[in-house]
Amino acid sequence: MARVLVIDDEANIRLLYAQELGDDGYEVVTAATVSEALSRLDEQLFDLVILDIKLKSESGLDLLQQIVRERHNLPVILCSAFSCYKDDFSAWLADGYVVKSSNIEELKLEVGKVLGKKAHRG
Amino acid sequence: MDWNCCWTKEQIERGDCPYIREGEEELLVLLPRRIVEKCFYCDRFRDDLRRLSQEELPLARIVPFLMEALRDQKNQISAMAGSLDSRNQEISFLHELAEVLQTTMNLDEVLSVAMTAITAGKGFGMNRAFLLLTEKRQHNLGIGPRNLQEAWQTWDEISHHNYSLTEMASQFFNTKLRSEKAKFHEILTLLEAHLTEEGHLLNRVLGEHKPLLVDEQLRSSVGDNGLTELLDVESYLIMPLVCRNRPVGVILADNYVTHKMITRQDLESLETFGYTVAFAIERASLYDQLQEKVERLVEVNEQLLEQQEQIVRMEKLALVGEITSSIAHSIRNPLMTIGGFARSLLRKSVGDDPIREHLTSLVTAAQQLDDVLTEILTSSDSLYPARDQWDLNLLVYRVSEELAERLSRREITLRLDLAQNLPMAFIDFRQITFCLRTIIINLLDSLSDGSTVTLFTRQSSEGLLLEASAGPIPSGHTATGLGLMVCRNLLEKQSIPFTITTGDQEISFKITVPIERRE
Repeated sequence: MARVLVIDDEANIRLLYAQELGDDGYEVVTAATVSEALSRLDEQLFDLVILDIKLKSESGLDLLQQIVRERHNLPVILCSAFSCYKDDFSAWLADGYVVKSSNIEELKLEVGKVLGKKAHRG
Repeated sequence: MDWNCCWTKEQIERGDCPYIREGEEELLVLLPRRIVEKCFYCDRFRDDLRRLSQEELPLARIVPFLMEALRDQKNQISAMAGSLDSRNQEISFLHELAEVLQTTMNLDEVLSVAMTAITAGKGFGMNRAFLLLTEKRQHNLGIGPRNLQEAWQTWDEISHHNYSLTEMASQFFNTKLRSEKAKFHEILTLLEAHLTEEGHLLNRVLGEHKPLLVDEQLRSSVGDNGLTELLDVESYLIMPLVCRNRPVGVILADNYVTHKMITRQDLESLETFGYTVAFAIERASLYDQLQEKVERLVEVNEQLLEQQEQIVRMEKLALVGEITSSIAHSIRNPLMTIGGFARSLLRKSVGDDPIREHLTSLVTAAQQLDDVLTEILTSSDSLYPARDQWDLNLLVYRVSEELAERLSRREITLRLDLAQNLPMAFIDFRQITFCLRTIIINLLDSLSDGSTVTLFTRQSSEGLLLEASAGPIPSGHTATGLGLMVCRNLLEKQSIPFTITTGDQEISFKITVPIERRE
């Protein structure tokens, strides 16, 4: 069972992701802040991170850089309310990019795709 | 004694002295001047002196010596006066030339003045001249007649009008510059080639900074690389044009028509002329360069101003972007929560549960709001079009995949008719994707379940055509909605043609995107 870390400052979003991805058979762990996310990453091994770009006053892009630097085998999917961050160079470090929508099918497809790639890479 | 000459008479009558001409009547009464100016050259006076010497008077013996010495002095003074007069004319001419050259900064005008000066009768009077520049070879120039007839015609015209140097140069510049260039094109081309040959006489003269008179003697001793044959003259001179120790060009001049011998004196006179011309050419060239630099500077300055304005505009737009980003974040998260949970609950509810209808409404409303939000954000995003080379068919595939679920829910068939081997389109991928997505969503609203939407790509003379058509549509349907307005707006901003045509049963959207980079 793949373990997914969801990092989002909105409690409702964390709950929605946990429920939807849980229903699809993933083990979901959530974090609301950068420090909380780093603690979770130190405590457990994850197969995937779903990361919101705007975490209140903190930047998801900074956390992305840290994850890529320290855990370069851990894939990250960026989630954002606005598609403009796709143009940000640092966003290109992510393995996937999904614009938040009331229909989270796109996110689920991306999760499957990224985990499939990871499994293929071994 | 009875004298033959009138030298003893204070006053004489007209006819007493055969040497006094009309206008010299004052000599009839001025004895000393008459003796010096006329008697010294009179045979009768010489006879009188001979007779006087026979009288054995002491003074009579020395008078002939004094006379001879005086005549020599007079001749010398006369020669010096002639030389001074000639130098004076030369200096006056150089002065006039310098003045004329100072009035212009145009290189062709400077060259016209120089070439006129070298060939004008009141200038250096050479028959023909060629001027070759080390740089800016397109300005190389030849001047002079091709034959005696042409020479007489020109000289006759000049003698009738008594033109000044300025007038002659101006006439040459305005009426003859091109024709003379064309006339001597062949010789100029060959001379140009010689100027670049290492060790060629022209190059040597240029390197030594000294003018050279090439005649039979020099030709037989050091040779002239066939210039005599090329110019078809016995002798000619080569004048290097040097400014601040830098070779600017070279002038070749000859007497092609009159075959008048070129002297060392001619060479010396032309040397001073060469310095003046070289300086004027250099000054005109520098002025040209300066003009170019100033123009470039003005251009850069204008670009800088434009960029400054653009920066200010971008700063304003960035602020708009920041605001919309913030709005997006504030609206999208709650919307996602509502829509997401509604979908989740809908999926988990049993088939006959009455709440399903409400949940479906929630899902649809959330989806609609999502679409509207995307349209608004894309509209603000369109302020920054990021155009690049993109595969238009790939864009169509991506949109098709993205909307596959929505189309299949409505049992609408999507047919792709895409041309192969299309060139890359120069577009903002996201914006055109948004437009195509919006068009299809708009079609979904008007089509009945089970209809067909066709996406079509082709190359046209204006660029690449992307067409979405569908039918049947309800009669009276018009393509409206915020999304289409946003599409029209952002396509217009990029001058991309967007047309909507409705038929009896069908509606068609056409976007023609550019292939080439367009500013």
